[in-house]
Amino acid sequence: MLQPRQTRSIRMFLIYLVIILAVLLSIFPILYLLITSFKPADLTFAVPPVWIFHPTLQNYFDVFAGGTFNKYFMNSVIVALSTTAIALTLGSFAGYGFARFQFRGKTWMMLSSLIPQMLPPITIIVPLYVLFNSMKLIDTQLALIISYLTFSIPLSIWMMTGFFADVPPELEESAMIDGCTRMGAFFRVNLPIAAPGLAATAILSFIYCWNEFLYAVILTGRDARTLPVTITSFMTNKAILWGRIAASGSLILVPVLIFALLAQRYLVRGLSRGAVKG
Amino acid sequence: MSVANTPVEQTTSTAVARHRARKHFFRRIEPALYISPAFLVLAAILIYPLGYSFWLSFHQWLLRSFRQGVPFIGIKNYLDLFTNPDFLNSLRITFTFVFFAVGIEFVLGMGLALLLNHDLHGKGMIRSLILLPMMCTNVVIGLTFRLLLNYQYGIVNYYLGAVGLHSIEWLSKPGVALPAVILVDVWNTTSFVALLLLAGLQSMPEEPFEAARIDGASAMQTFYYLTLPLLRPTILVALLWRLIDTFRIFDVIYLLTAGGPARATETVSIYVYRYGFQSFNLGFASAASFIMIAIMIGIAAVLARSIGRQEQ
Repeated sequence: MLQPRQTRSIRMFLIYLVIILAVLLSIFPILYLLITSFKPADLTFAVPPVWIFHPTLQNYFDVFAGGTFNKYFMNSVIVALSTTAIALTLGSFAGYGFARFQFRGKTWMMLSSLIPQMLPPITIIVPLYVLFNSMKLIDTQLALIISYLTFSIPLSIWMMTGFFADVPPELEESAMIDGCTRMGAFFRVNLPIAAPGLAATAILSFIYCWNEFLYAVILTGRDARTLPVTITSFMTNKAILWGRIAASGSLILVPVLIFALLAQRYLVRGLSRGAVKG
Repeated sequence: MSVANTPVEQTTSTAVARHRARKHFFRRIEPALYISPAFLVLAAILIYPLGYSFWLSFHQWLLRSFRQGVPFIGIKNYLDLFTNPDFLNSLRITFTFVFFAVGIEFVLGMGLALLLNHDLHGKGMIRSLILLPMMCTNVVIGLTFRLLLNYQYGIVNYYLGAVGLHSIEWLSKPGVALPAVILVDVWNTTSFVALLLLAGLQSMPEEPFEAARIDGASAMQTFYYLTLPLLRPTILVALLWRLIDTFRIFDVIYLLTAGGPARATETVSIYVYRYGFQSFNLGFASAASFIMIAIMIGIAAVLARSIGRQEQ
């Protein structure tokens, strides 16, 4: 018969075991991509798989060789940053409005703000293409920024509503008694307190824009192309250049992974809060 | 007569009343000042595309004939869709995909959340690492799994062989491709469900659980009668997000199988893409889009109802 303390430690051991397994499963494909990106070309598809080898940067040189990869990298950065800045501004005001005011039909308005996010991009992309074409905006960063607002604004509203609901209203009330306008209190009291939430929302919106593929592949060509489209250009009719795909894939993932690690706590809270509270 | 009725006093009191009315009016529209900019921008971006798409869905727009005109054909596109075996197939594939992907993600996610809800060493680290898959670029995920699941050279098949199992044609055999694609989605988003549910678990009050323990409730009873009902709001929100995302899934499938083999993984999004951008039958594609939007809004409305009911 086991002692209660022993059963407890066996239980904790099993819990750790399963969790470590889950962690390994989560990161293995990512690690595999990173490892492949440093493999010499002849080892990419070696059978049996080779795990110990002389790492090479050749794949990365190949990716940058054409000189266009930097440009597309900057496209991705500019589009994601601009979209995020606009969405965050609009989303913060709306989120504050939803968190602080009571009015009729609020729940429905909050939920309807999610409709644009629900629209499958494929359903509005044909008319968007026609529209941007007539405005000579095809293959511009602006076209992508406008398209991306359709999902990053709803996301920002949703998350910021939750974060503003967490700021106790007493704080801004006392600021308003001291003569602050509501707008002043918004900037001086609410925004600073909700700053971590603001950062998390910015990161998530950035990542969504950074990762987007469908709008980018249809609305851009040579000039405004972003990284997810660029990586598919290594799949040519003749061959799939796996080394370059792995290298550029790693370059795409690294910023995202760093951001995700930094903001982990607030990201999850922001996503879960929005609807439950507010 | 009191002093208050002198003309001067009267004007002040109407001024005060007017001031008050103005203030009252301002109070009423104040929320709109904060909320409307976001809504106006969204409406400005979306109204034309949605309207045009709706218009297209009642017209015949073909690449070879659109210069001669785009005839109005009523609901023919919609009627044709519902007798089109490929469209019905894509609906079936989408629902199968959503059902199994979301189902598995919730079972695994719930399990993982319950495990993570213990006092663990390195909690933050574990959560960060588990979060990684959901942050990854879908295109990169699709390509990575193509590499991993490659029939001849992929390491998954190699290690299957090493433990004495047969190699599997993960992405090229009709019966296997859909489960494989579901598996990739499960890898991609189980962590999202788990972390969301974990956040819900951690915000629960402790008293009912203590009471249950004192009353000698079993772990199963506690989970079924306490945890699940208390977790309902979080579950609904997680479900809403997951349904929205899986229903319109495009890029992972597009890169893994492009809808193949033999349409075994052709979801509605891929179907619309094929009609819109490969055969350029825009009216038909738009009609399919609207059916998709209608289904999605239907699902979301049901969930939104239960979320809304909870708040009252």
